[in-house]
Amino acid sequence: MARRVVIVGVATHWGAELARRLERDPQVEYVAGIDDREPAADLERTEFLHADIRNPVLARLLPATEPDTVVHCGILWYPAPGKPARALHEINVIGTLQLLAACERTPPLERIVVRGSAAIYGCEPAAPLFHTEELAGRAPLRTRFQRDVAELEGYFEDFARRRPQVRCTMLRFQPEIGPDLDAPLTRYLRLPVVPTQLGFDPRLQLLHAEDATGALLAALRADVRGPVNVAPSGALSLSRILRSAGRLSLPVPHPLFEPALGRLGVELGAGPLVADAVRLLRYGRGISNRRLVEEVGYRPRFDAEAAVADFFEKADSRRVSPDLGGLFRRLAGVVR
Amino acid sequence: MSGPQGGAPTAAALADFLREVRAGIEAGLDPVAAARGAIPRLPARLRNAVEALARRWRGEYREDKWGFDEDFAEAAFPLFEFLYEVWWRVDAVGVRNVPAHGRALLVANHAGSIFPFDASMMTMALMKEHPLPRWPRFMVLDWAFSLPFVSTFMRRVGGVPAAPQNALALLAEDELVMVFPEGVKGTRKPFSERYRLQRFGRGGFVEVALRTGAPIVPVAVVGSEEIYPKVGELDVAARLTGAPFVPVTPTFPWLGALGLIPLPSKWRIEFCEPIDLSEHGPEAAHDRGLVFDISERVRETIQERLYANLVARGAPFV
Repeated sequence: MARRVVIVGVATHWGAELARRLERDPQVEYVAGIDDREPAADLERTEFLHADIRNPVLARLLPATEPDTVVHCGILWYPAPGKPARALHEINVIGTLQLLAACERTPPLERIVVRGSAAIYGCEPAAPLFHTEELAGRAPLRTRFQRDVAELEGYFEDFARRRPQVRCTMLRFQPEIGPDLDAPLTRYLRLPVVPTQLGFDPRLQLLHAEDATGALLAALRADVRGPVNVAPSGALSLSRILRSAGRLSLPVPHPLFEPALGRLGVELGAGPLVADAVRLLRYGRGISNRRLVEEVGYRPRFDAEAAVADFFEKADSRRVSPDLGGLFRRLAGVVR
Repeated sequence: MSGPQGGAPTAAALADFLREVRAGIEAGLDPVAAARGAIPRLPARLRNAVEALARRWRGEYREDKWGFDEDFAEAAFPLFEFLYEVWWRVDAVGVRNVPAHGRALLVANHAGSIFPFDASMMTMALMKEHPLPRWPRFMVLDWAFSLPFVSTFMRRVGGVPAAPQNALALLAEDELVMVFPEGVKGTRKPFSERYRLQRFGRGGFVEVALRTGAPIVPVAVVGSEEIYPKVGELDVAARLTGAPFVPVTPTFPWLGALGLIPLPSKWRIEFCEPIDLSEHGPEAAHDRGLVFDISERVRETIQERLYANLVARGAPFV
């Protein structure tokens, strides 16, 4: 079980991280990574196969590696810098379709794990505070990414139904944070002054990067089928996250939040947030990790509070804190 | 060290404090550090308040995974205490029927067209009169959670969106949960139909109680149905705001914000004997007939106690 593993999307942070862990495992005979660009990380014994996930060539490449396990880490939550958001649909939906078609032609395959997203639950003001797996599909599909996730989950479910000999697991991740992670949400939290939406205080579950990899690795080995939520235990409101991190927040009326953040984000190098994140930072989202803990057998090491504390502790030690005294003196100078 | 008391000494202490802050800044500290250094200069009461605020500012307060914030609820307590003691002169009967430990589902009638205060007054009755008080959670109309400020406030004082999953999970953690099965139909009823219970939804609250084995405590709230006498509705305003309805009362919207002040009716809240459903087991939640029977029984109990307490209360406004 999990002797020959192919990681699709190995150039992503999570794909590379998983490859590194698998390389250290003596039980894993062979690791291959597929992506359209080389992973930035140094990988030792992972064979890199250059291919675009959207290209039908995948259907020849994948069976040739004779994998028993395929991990799909190539679902992107936000566009690469400078790329349009429309490209995501191609990569996420068409790419997953191509991958599933290739899997059909790979007879030794026993296991597929997909790194999906909890965005399928949406961010609804009146939603259950801790979604369980069977509640997917109840929320209206409001954003492009949410529609894409729902669509690709549908294809994946079809595949799982038609090929019962392959154990298929869809992991639904909450957004991750980590000191080494460069994502819109971590950049947002690192802003010296963090814009928030006036009058809203979303409950968030930010997953520690270490638990994100840990859960992926555990799911690979667990005998679980179907969707599994991946989230820390508990939840934390944004206001408390920012206060305990000593961040200043700047409440902005919610219709102005997206443009304001676009402006400020570009100014401060954080980049704009995608529509999903705007809704997440208004209404929040909570998911239940009971299945992950009890059936996959992975208990996240960091709960919602500890994950945030660890993130800010490590992020702050690398950052020059804003000079409030200097700022104050400058302001005083302007007034004078 | 106790600070000076009274008006003039307070002003003197404040001036002292500001001088200390300025000295701190001139000595090269940033304003926050300078202010922190000068805190011992403040009079004792002010110092405590400032320190409490500072703790909040630093995020050093507790908040459970549902978003309930006990410090915040306690800060709002005096306002609701005023409403409870002075404004509505609430009499609470049978608070000991609410279990001191473990899960229980409190089911009550719902009223108050502009802002329903019944959940907050039931909370006050439990917190003030129960021998072992604990903060109950309550199910809130979905629309409230799409509003700025309201959503945050509701969540911090223990409100959760009215989804059955939330009630199930809270009861599984042995919390007290308050539900209002009449829902919007309850708050929307015109003044002429006060104290006439509406349909109890589809009996979802009974399913929740059966599945968790929680006892149902019927609660009759008298007085809440007179605070905003609804005489009409503004359809256009409702469509524009997305609200379920916008009520017209003798004072709202004619007097603007003043119209939001509830009338000072006399209240009486009765907590009835708990109904134990554990004999049925969780599987009984699928038994439609049983669910409707129990739902109807709870509804009749509340209706009957409403009439009895209306008589016991007497005149509505004195």
